[in-house]
Parts: sequence; C-alpha cells; structure tokens
Amino acid sequence: MRRVHPARVLVTLLVVAVVVVAFLLPYVWILSSSFKDQGSIFSDVSPLSWKTFWPTGGSLDNYVSTIENKNVGRALLNSVIIAVAQVAGTLVLGSLAAFGLTRIRFRGSRLLFGLILVTFLVPMEALVVPLYAWMGDLHLRNSLAAVFLPWLASPFALFMLRQAFEEIPAELDEAAYLDGAGPFRVFWSVILPSVRSTVVGCGLVVFLFSWNSFLWPLVVNSSSDREVIQVAVAQSAAPGQLPNWGETFAGAMIATLPLILLFIFAQRHIVQGLASSGLK
Amino acid sequence: MLVRNSFFDYTLLRPDEQKFVGIGQYERIFTDPGAASTFGTTLLFALGVLVLVVPLGFLVAVFLNGRFPGRSIVRTIVFLPVVTSVAVTSTMWLFMLTKNGGLVNSLITGLGLPPMAFLTSIPWALISIIVMTAWQQIGFVAVLFLTGLQSVPDDVVEAARVDGASRVRVVTAIILPLMSRTTLFVVITMTVFSLQAFAPAFLMTSGGPQDSTSLVVYAIYNAAFKLQDPGFASALAVAVMLIALVLSGIQSLFLRTKWSY
Repeated sequence: MRRVHPARVLVTLLVVAVVVVAFLLPYVWILSSSFKDQGSIFSDVSPLSWKTFWPTGGSLDNYVSTIENKNVGRALLNSVIIAVAQVAGTLVLGSLAAFGLTRIRFRGSRLLFGLILVTFLVPMEALVVPLYAWMGDLHLRNSLAAVFLPWLASPFALFMLRQAFEEIPAELDEAAYLDGAGPFRVFWSVILPSVRSTVVGCGLVVFLFSWNSFLWPLVVNSSSDREVIQVAVAQSAAPGQLPNWGETFAGAMIATLPLILLFIFAQRHIVQGLASSGLK
Repeated sequence: MLVRNSFFDYTLLRPDEQKFVGIGQYERIFTDPGAASTFGTTLLFALGVLVLVVPLGFLVAVFLNGRFPGRSIVRTIVFLPVVTSVAVTSTMWLFMLTKNGGLVNSLITGLGLPPMAFLTSIPWALISIIVMTAWQQIGFVAVLFLTGLQSVPDDVVEAARVDGASRVRVVTAIILPLMSRTTLFVVITMTVFSLQAFAPAFLMTSGGPQDSTSLVVYAIYNAAFKLQDPGFASALAVAVMLIALVLSGIQSLFLRTKWSY
C-alpha cells in the first residue's frame, strides 16, 4: 500500500474545486435561472448566495414561452432534420469514397486523396462567401438542404473512414470475391460490419459539428422558419435588444442538453473522434 | 464522387473568381487600415488564447493523468464546454460578463469593488472573448496533451524516480521535452482555431468597442453581408485560407520528421 500524503489530498481537492467552479458553475447558473422569472434572476444574482445557483421559483414558463414565441420549437425540429440528414449523407458518401480509394486501384488515386486532404485544411469560414453565392445560383437559399449540402463531402469523415478501411486485410475481400460476391456486396457485408465503431464515432462527431454550427446557417437562411436552434438562441440575446434572460437561458439549455446527454453516453467515441479531427 | 469533385473544383475555382474582381482587393489587404487592424486583432486574440490554453490545458492533463477518485467526472466537466456550441457559450458569457446583473460582476461587487464594463471597454472586451474561448477549449487541449502524456513510456519515468529525480524534475526534464510534438500540434491547431473564431465577436461584442474585437472572420461577415463588399470579403477569406494552409504545412513538416529520444 502506498501512503497517501495529506498534502496531496488537499491539492487534489483544491484543483477539483477550482475545476468545478470554473467549468460547471456557469452551467448551473444558466440552468437554475432558466426556471426563474426576470425579477428573481436579478435579485438572486446579487448578492451571491446559494439562491444564485438554485431554481428557487421552479416554473417552466420560460421553456413554454421560448418554444412558442421565440421560434425555438421550430428551430429545434430544423436542427434535428439537418443533423440527421448530414450524418446519413456524410456516412454514405464518405464510406463509398473510402471504399473506392482503398479497394479500387486506379491511376491517380493517391493524388486524388492528397488533394482531398488539402481541402481538409481549408477553414470552412473562408468558404462562406462563395458558398453563399453558389447557393443563390442553385436557388437553395432559405432551405434546410442549404445548411447541410455543402458539408456532405466531408474530408474529415473520408480521412477517418479510409484509415479504418485500410486496416482491413485485403484477403478478406478476396475470399468474398472468390465466393462470388460483387463489389457492392463486399462493401456492405464484409467491410462495413468490420468498421462499425469507426462509423459510429464518425457519425457522432459529424452530428456534433452539424448541431453546433452557427456561422453558415446564420448566413444562408434568413427566414425564421428555416432557423436552426443555435441561431434562434443567439438571436434572442442579440446585442442591442433588451433580452428576456430566463427565456434565453431556457433556449440555451434546450440547444445544449441533447448534446450533453449524447456526450455522457458516448464519451469515448466523441473524444477520440474530436481529437483525430484536429477540431474543425 | 460527383459531389466531392464539385466541392473540389469549387475550392480550386476560387482564385479564378478573385481574378475576375481584379487584384485590387488584395492590394487593399495590405493598404486598408481596417484589414491591417483586423489581422492584428486576430493575432492578439490567437496569442491570448494560446497563452492561456497551452499551460492550463497541460496542467489539467497532468492532473487528469494521475489517479484520484472522481477523475472521470472531472474529465467530463472540463470537456462540457467543448461539446457546447460556441453560440451557446458566447451567449452564456455575454450574460455572465454583463455589467448589471452579470454573475462575474456580482462576484466583483460582492468583494467590494466597482463593477466592470467587460464587454464595452478597451482592452477588456478583447480579453473577455479570449478568456471565453480559452475556457471553452481547455478541455480539448487537455485531451490532446493527455494522449501525449500516455505515450510517455513509464519505465523512463520510473528510472528517473529511482535515480532520485524529484516530481517537478521529471516533468521539466523528461515529460516536457517528450511532449514537444504534441505541444506543436496543440499550438498550430489552436492558432488555426483562433483564426476561424466568429461567434464571440459577433454575439458578445459586435466587434467593438471601436473595432477592438473585430476578428477576421467577423470582418469577412461584415464586409460580405452587411457592407455589401463581397470582393473585399473574398480577399480576406483567401488570406485566411492561405494562413491556415501555411500553418498546417509547417505542422506536417515538423510532425513528419522522426525524432528519436
């Protein structure tokens, strides 16, 4: 048994306390205040007390009114549709492209992959202006499709999936071909099942990016019934307006809770995926 | 494939599009005081984020690498802001830093000090969006460092301990040098990330006061969608793209070299 030094225990406790205050307390404040009316939020915040971080009122009024009046309900639905479509489309395109790049020998496949990797390094923010013009040409502005279409061909997903595909020995598909399977069957019944965990991790990270994206949906869709949840929440607190704090906090919680739950249940996948993405 | 190619051509097409506008926009990047100041602001912002996020992220990683009860909960808490959208964290911090009724000012006045106008004064507005961004990214940086730390061979550390090296000395003489690759990766990733920041400037400060927080992507947004000057916005965007490509190029150059210890 190693002796535990009391000083070490103290330092550990101190660090844990600092971390909890710095990273968790803002969430607790927002969450508890989202159940209060405007007056109680102000009277509870100053002076600081336990009341600041406790839902003293405990009413759901803010949630009801933000969903009804601030368009949050509609925006939530839009975000779900966009994220699901983006995950599905990215996985289909990415896994087919990864199959092509790792399993079909053709001239210039390495060059092609190299070029695709270069697009991985281009910040999406630099593409907003030309993409906006492009969406105009395609008459797609103010549509849900405009929000996810440009990102379906994701170099990140291709990169992650290609790596997993490469690790599957070629003998495996050769055996299947000898048994009379076609390329699509090899793709579907041999390769995809062996890379299931990469596909799940990739899908989760794409979901996260899609759900949290802000600049592009803000730019491409100006009509309120095409708004996504992040934009709806941010607009309700836009500078220059007199915001309703409780409603904004309730909206922020609605925008954040699904991801926090997803994160708690799939932490390992998400952390690994994000770390390999180099954060885009 | 079709979509991929079209996306691809598209990226390659951009220089042609710019040529159509003429190279005048590019001259503006170097002569327009607004452009110089937005890149200066973004550089300051990136430096500020790095100064906070690298040491703090490393400390959190060292801490999480040790064994103590509740470690996984602490790791989850530190990572929460990473999975929260920047729109929500910006909104959250907007309210935390507000002069009247903000959580931080309530703490400050509780200590008997006058409230601060964090988001509407120079240089506090820039400092505020730096702190918010660092707060959001510390968990991510910590995870990157943690991956690096776990690849440090245990026997090297143990050998040093047996030879009588102190804990601090193990960190400074063994772990830090071994972590130089991870550190480079973190520095470049966070610099590129800072280059792309938009929501803090848009939501917390509107680029103000007096453009002191006008980050380059915010300037692009303003030029393109508010001032109807897409040509200038595109020139700024191409500059951003080039800087990101150069930084990533430097990164792959260094990461490719095999360093033997």
